[in-house]
Amino acid sequence: MKGKFDIDVVADSTITKRRVQRATMPDYAKMKKPDVKLVILGDMNVGKTSLLHRYTERKFKDTISTVGGAFFLKQWGPYNISIWDTAGREQFHGLGSLYCRGAAAVILTYDVTNWQSLAELEDRFLSLTDTANSDCIFAIVGNKADLTDPRALVEEEGEEEKEVVPQLSSSPTGPPKFRKQVLREDAMAFYSRILRYKLLDEATSLPAESMCFETSAKTGYNVDLLFETLFNMVLPSILKKESQSCSPTVDLEECREVKRTKAGCCT
Amino acid sequence: MSVKAFELVPAVERDLLMGDKARINIECIECCGKHLYVGTNDCFVHHFLLEERTTPKGKLAFCAQKLLHKCLGLKKPVNELKAASALERLIVLCDSTVTVVDMVNLEAVSSGGARIKGVASFCVNENPVNGDPFCVELGVIATKRRTVQIYMVYEDRVQLVKEVSTPEQPCAVCLDGYFLCLALSTQYMILNYNTGASQDLFPYDSEEKKPIVKRIGREEFLLAAPGGLGMFATADGVSQRAPVNWSESVIGAAVCFPYVVALDEGFVTVHSMLDQQLKQTLSFRDGHILQDFEGKVVLASTKAVYVLVPLPLERQIQDLLAGHRVEEALTLAEGARRNIPKDKFQIMHRRILQQAGFIQFGQLQFLEAKEHFRKGQLDVRELISLYPLLLPSSSSFTRCHPPLHEFADLNHLAQGDQEKVRRCKLFLVSYLREARSTEVANGCREDVDTALLKLYAEADHESLLDLLASENACLLADSAPWLEKHHKYFALGLLYRYNGQDDAALQLWVKVVNGDLQDSTRSDLYEYVVDFLSFCPNLDLVWKYAEWALQKDQKVGVQIFTRRTVSDDQAGQMNPDSIIKYLHKYQQATLLYLEHLVLERRVQKEKLHTHLAVLYLDRVLGLLSQSPSPAQEVAEAREQLQKLLKESNLYRVQLLLGKLQDTELLLERATLHGKLEEHDKALHILVHQLKDFPAAEGYCLWASASRDEEHRRRLFHLLLGVYLDPDAPGDERTVAAVDLLNRHAGAFDAAQVLRLLPEGWSLQLLRPFLSGALRGAMHARRTSQVALGLARAENLLLKHDRLKYRGGPVFVSEKKGCQLCHNTFTEPDCVCLPGGVPVHTHCAAQRARDSPRKRPSANPSNHT
Ligand SMILES: Nc1nc2c(ncn2[C@@H]2O[C@H](COP(=O)(O)OP(=O)(O)O)[C@@H](O)[C@H]2O)c(=O)[nH]1
Ligand SMILES: [Mg+2]
Repeated sequence: MKGKFDIDVVADSTITKRRVQRATMPDYAKMKKPDVKLVILGDMNVGKTSLLHRYTERKFKDTISTVGGAFFLKQWGPYNISIWDTAGREQFHGLGSLYCRGAAAVILTYDVTNWQSLAELEDRFLSLTDTANSDCIFAIVGNKADLTDPRALVEEEGEEEKEVVPQLSSSPTGPPKFRKQVLREDAMAFYSRILRYKLLDEATSLPAESMCFETSAKTGYNVDLLFETLFNMVLPSILKKESQSCSPTVDLEECREVKRTKAGCCT
Repeated sequence: MSVKAFELVPAVERDLLMGDKARINIECIECCGKHLYVGTNDCFVHHFLLEERTTPKGKLAFCAQKLLHKCLGLKKPVNELKAASALERLIVLCDSTVTVVDMVNLEAVSSGGARIKGVASFCVNENPVNGDPFCVELGVIATKRRTVQIYMVYEDRVQLVKEVSTPEQPCAVCLDGYFLCLALSTQYMILNYNTGASQDLFPYDSEEKKPIVKRIGREEFLLAAPGGLGMFATADGVSQRAPVNWSESVIGAAVCFPYVVALDEGFVTVHSMLDQQLKQTLSFRDGHILQDFEGKVVLASTKAVYVLVPLPLERQIQDLLAGHRVEEALTLAEGARRNIPKDKFQIMHRRILQQAGFIQFGQLQFLEAKEHFRKGQLDVRELISLYPLLLPSSSSFTRCHPPLHEFADLNHLAQGDQEKVRRCKLFLVSYLREARSTEVANGCREDVDTALLKLYAEADHESLLDLLASENACLLADSAPWLEKHHKYFALGLLYRYNGQDDAALQLWVKVVNGDLQDSTRSDLYEYVVDFLSFCPNLDLVWKYAEWALQKDQKVGVQIFTRRTVSDDQAGQMNPDSIIKYLHKYQQATLLYLEHLVLERRVQKEKLHTHLAVLYLDRVLGLLSQSPSPAQEVAEAREQLQKLLKESNLYRVQLLLGKLQDTELLLERATLHGKLEEHDKALHILVHQLKDFPAAEGYCLWASASRDEEHRRRLFHLLLGVYLDPDAPGDERTVAAVDLLNRHAGAFDAAQVLRLLPEGWSLQLLRPFLSGALRGAMHARRTSQVALGLARAENLLLKHDRLKYRGGPVFVSEKKGCQLCHNTFTEPDCVCLPGGVPVHTHCAAQRARDSPRKRPSANPSNHT
């Protein structure tokens, strides 16, 4: 940082001819470049931020409405995977295409207790994925399963504070209060419609059963499964990209060792 | 929030620009090195020289010196200014026309060649593909047509090189390489002017809100997005950084890594690109322009110019750390990794990690603290030095300066909360334990081990002894008072020992055993000391403390000598004689020591055996002289005496016999007589005095053990004789005699016995004896017959063999050659090989020598 302000300013009192143009900015713009991108889409409040948070921080905490977008870099084997959390608010809708551009996987998230949230995916969010890679993988995720499905109440990890487990009977967040509005079959039907929208052959695409998840960011139910299934599915896409960009010039910046044997193992 | 990342410093005050003329406003600025150009709405361009100064108070200040101001004569505002320093030109947009003026005198250059008309806005390509150093590439938005033009500006002319049309009217432009980043009326887009390829970015209503297009680096732009966002987009149309959330009404934005600075109506906001967080807000009214020039962020209101001076990174990080914002500080530091030389960065980074560790330590987040200490390669002594008195006074350590943390010491940190202190100490214990096993402790092992010792001692931790018993670098001088303070005398002794001061260790331990000092570490400390002495190679010490040990308990104390390995005796001082002499005062100890020598080590020395026997005897006599004498003890003592008398052959029998003369220890006397082969006396005592017939019988067995049959028979006959003594008849003895005969029939010569027995004894009485004797005799006879037969058979076999081997006669003559050397025989002596082959004796011997394993099997025999 300090170096940046030490840029030699040639002009002292007279302006010399040596300087052609503004010194180009230091290359801070270059960051560790992710190998592959995952984008989480879905209406506001379905729990996108909570899902990402649960996966990365292993806990569930109060989120504030996401502004614009945020992302997280995950080291998966030798690869860097960026996961983008987007804002569901209508206001930020226009940014969706930008986020989805070049995505290898899109996680379309809805709230199992809210039929509208699934409808929104189809109406508003699906078209944003037009900019994603042609071989982009789609996952349909019904979050907040803890509200409707007793199975999702089982904590995935012991570290979570006990209090967040809703009591089946008395808790205001317990199942009696919430009806499951979206069944897994609905999500699977939606998945088929996505394939049709993308003009993909159902027979050669990933099957709906393995691409429709029901999760709970609150208890962690299926959260690791979701992300790690997708990570493994996008690996071929990374390898493809690598072989394509296999240029004769050596990129000195890219001094990463690719240990292919490690691919597929986590953390 | 609130890092102080920037400081707002006035650069050009109102007086220098427009004085009190209210209508005149700043329209645009350009900064190039120390040169600042300001364009105003009254068509003036002002040229200042901006010098940096440090005020006496140490603050940064700018001193602006006006070099020139010039009216462009168009009565229109000056909209944009861009310097092309290599050309010494200033590019000016005024009245929809771009003109080129001299940078120094601000005069328009040459004719009308250097001018572009109908320009709404323009930008300079800071990363042109064309490498010509003496021209500047401009991207120009035309006022009416939906086009963007690319111009080359030379010293004295401009040249249109490309024109591309856009789907809508552009209103802001930025250039990087071939890429135009454009704000159109309803969206942003990227346009490659070389290929014509375009890439939509995202929708934006430029009519409603002022768009911002800002190049922030190679092929990356910062754009104002709906919802008050600053979005990053690359020329490929993707976003690689998360957006920052500035405000809805942003007027200008600049990037000064790692910050995005934005200006709106009332504030300057500073967001970090690293974590998207808002870091600083400066209130700034009438803000008009915010631009960065070569990293210098310049801010202008309508009337004055300011510079946002970034605080040095380290200062910012320190501020964050001071606010305990560890994560942010580390993010900021790590974000700067690429901008700082590696070694410099490492030093800085390490220090920040250490500081971060101490902050977390202060918050008792030990796990995180440890991780940061480890990553930051903290000198362990920094941590130890927080705990009062733990570092040895001799330690050369001084805390690093400036300090890594705000704590004077642990007490300061804990503010009297004892629980906190306790947890911190526990942490240090675990930290030091780990440090010991890694190279972290290299170079300061003494400090680490001493500190650990002190912690253990204080906490009554059981590992204290393990530490001292294993390899350690605890400093004696520093640890001793501490251990004393905590009454860890046993441990202190161990430390003395480890330092080769056995005497000091013993002194201390003796005091503890004696109760002069209190330390309950070992309830068996006395035994420990004895054990220690028994191994102690320093004999002076052994003699010194043996006295004390024996006085305390002879039985235990004597182990100093009995446990000692025999090889130690070589020193001469520790030979049994001198020990016995030394033990003289301690009867019990002497006895135990002699037992050790005689019974365990089986030392075959008359003196020792006699001494032990005498002591045994004295003990028995002593016990007997008590009244009433303790039967059990007497029995045991006698048992021991008898055992020794019976088993040892070395003691002086006469001496003992003399001592026993007037005592009632008859059994012992009998044994002694037995030793002297005075069996009649012995048996007399046993039979007549003691009347203990089983004992008499036992005596015979004992005295004849390991002797021949004959001797045994003699003894039994002797006993029988005593039983049947006609001078002293007695029924009981008769019964005993019968029993003896019946029980040991084989031990007697039956014929002799029959002659001895009184006439009147019935046959029935002696049936077992007689049948036993008869059977015995019979058995003996048959056995010898069998033996005889076997011997004969063997003899016969041998004879047969002999004849077989002998074969016929062996002829030796002078003409006959030896089979081995082929010389003839000159003498009649020869050896006959199997098969009757005669060879020279010396040849046979030779052969036997040569093949020692294949001896000639034939018996050498002489023949003439
Ligand atoms: N019961 C339940 N609530 C959730 C779950 N995930 C998110 N929430 C809640 O739903 C609200 C919206 O979550 P957030 O992650 O901000 O949604 P986003 O707008 O999609 O990012 C918050 O109040 C969360 O606490 C879940 O799995 N179970
Ligand atoms: Mg969110």
